[in-house]
Amino acid sequence: MPFAEDPAHLSKSRLKSDLVAHNVALPSAASKKAVYVELHLKHIDQKNAADFSSDEEDRADDKKDAEMPVPSCLTDEDLKAMLRKHGVKPGPITASTRVLYERKLHKLLQSDRRERLNEADKAVLYSDSEEEKKQQEKDQDSGSEKQPDPSDQTQKESSQCFLPSSRLRPCPPRNTESSSNWNSRNALKSSERSQSQCSQIISTSTADHHTGLGSTVLPRSKSTDDSSLSSQYFSITQMVEEMENSSSRSVTDNACEFNGTSVQENWAQSDRPPQEPVKDAFKDILPGSKTTPTGIYVTRRRPIKGAAQRPVQYSYPDSPVSPMTQQRREVERYLVPIHIQILVFIIVACVLYLIYVNVEGSLSYWSYGEDRLLVQAESQDAEADYAQD
Amino acid sequence: MSSTSQKHKDFVAEPMGEKPVMALAGIGEVLGKRLEDKGFDKAYVVLGQFLVLKKDEELFRDWLKDTCGANVKQQGDCYGCLKEWCDAFL
Repeated sequence: MPFAEDPAHLSKSRLKSDLVAHNVALPSAASKKAVYVELHLKHIDQKNAADFSSDEEDRADDKKDAEMPVPSCLTDEDLKAMLRKHGVKPGPITASTRVLYERKLHKLLQSDRRERLNEADKAVLYSDSEEEKKQQEKDQDSGSEKQPDPSDQTQKESSQCFLPSSRLRPCPPRNTESSSNWNSRNALKSSERSQSQCSQIISTSTADHHTGLGSTVLPRSKSTDDSSLSSQYFSITQMVEEMENSSSRSVTDNACEFNGTSVQENWAQSDRPPQEPVKDAFKDILPGSKTTPTGIYVTRRRPIKGAAQRPVQYSYPDSPVSPMTQQRREVERYLVPIHIQILVFIIVACVLYLIYVNVEGSLSYWSYGEDRLLVQAESQDAEADYAQD
Repeated sequence: MSSTSQKHKDFVAEPMGEKPVMALAGIGEVLGKRLEDKGFDKAYVVLGQFLVLKKDEELFRDWLKDTCGANVKQQGDCYGCLKEWCDAFL
């Protein structure tokens, strides 16, 4: 087991960081590694030895814990190996990177543990899923079902992912009585759970879901009044809640084993985010929507452009406009539009052409006129000549 | 396209040379001072740390948060800046 580190095998920087982490005064920078090793042995290994002996008994009970080494006690090489096992390719483990890699390994180990527990739960749940269906269909007293309830509960909760259709199908055609019975069972179960230890976190989360979604896993005291409502409101949300409750319940069981509330808190907190986003997404997207009988939220789809009786609307009133187009539009208000520019150009061209033509015409007229004048002058001269003779 | 700041564009446009650590996107006066106190006085030293962490985003962000207390946006800006610089010049 790679718990007992041999300080002589560690690098000097590693020893230094270890000593700093344990608040041991560092020797002078020029001292040899042997000095660090000594100090390390003196202070840290004693501490670890004490920890180990006290933990041994706990670990003997906890097989799961026994497999999980504490990242900060590993050597650089071991830390690297553990990270590689989880599919991470770590870079060099130096004094500055060591802490980060330890944290990463810690996170990976936690998620591993979580997965293992989930798998264990699911393995139990699959085997009993058929029994649960039969029990659902029978009309039994809620009291008599208290004992099989916990197992039912866990069954329902995990199988919710896999048998939602089968769940939904029996429900609507069923008469209200049986569904109300089932729902009252839920109420009692939820009340049992809330009373159990370490369930504060659970109850707050379920309370949130109760208020937020308007779903009807029921307030604990009432079962009969709401049963009529609940029969209408049977939904997947109930199953999701139950799953969450069971998983958190299983956490409470394990919490006692693991002998640490920190584990449970981490679990509950980390378990809630994966499930809360599912529900929070609904709340966020559709905050003002009413609850529907099936719990399914649907928004009207935008109509297809140009389809029958849906004329194409070229300019939508609230279409988003990018800043570029906004700027361009503002500028264009001041500039003269292109069509008008072209029109003006053509008009000016026509005017110039007309002027040109007129000038040409008048020139020829003038020249014609000059000829006439010349002719007149000649004739006058001629007359003058004649007059002289 | 996500928008990048002018600082980011300026940094990524040329080799960093001896630029101070405050030239990095996301690192202003306060964070720059903290990094300098820890010994990261030039941008290339932070680049060194970035490369030692194998350009891993999560690890670099954690390191930045631990070292100078950068918030999520600052971490993201700095990471993006260095990553782009490496893509261009490394």
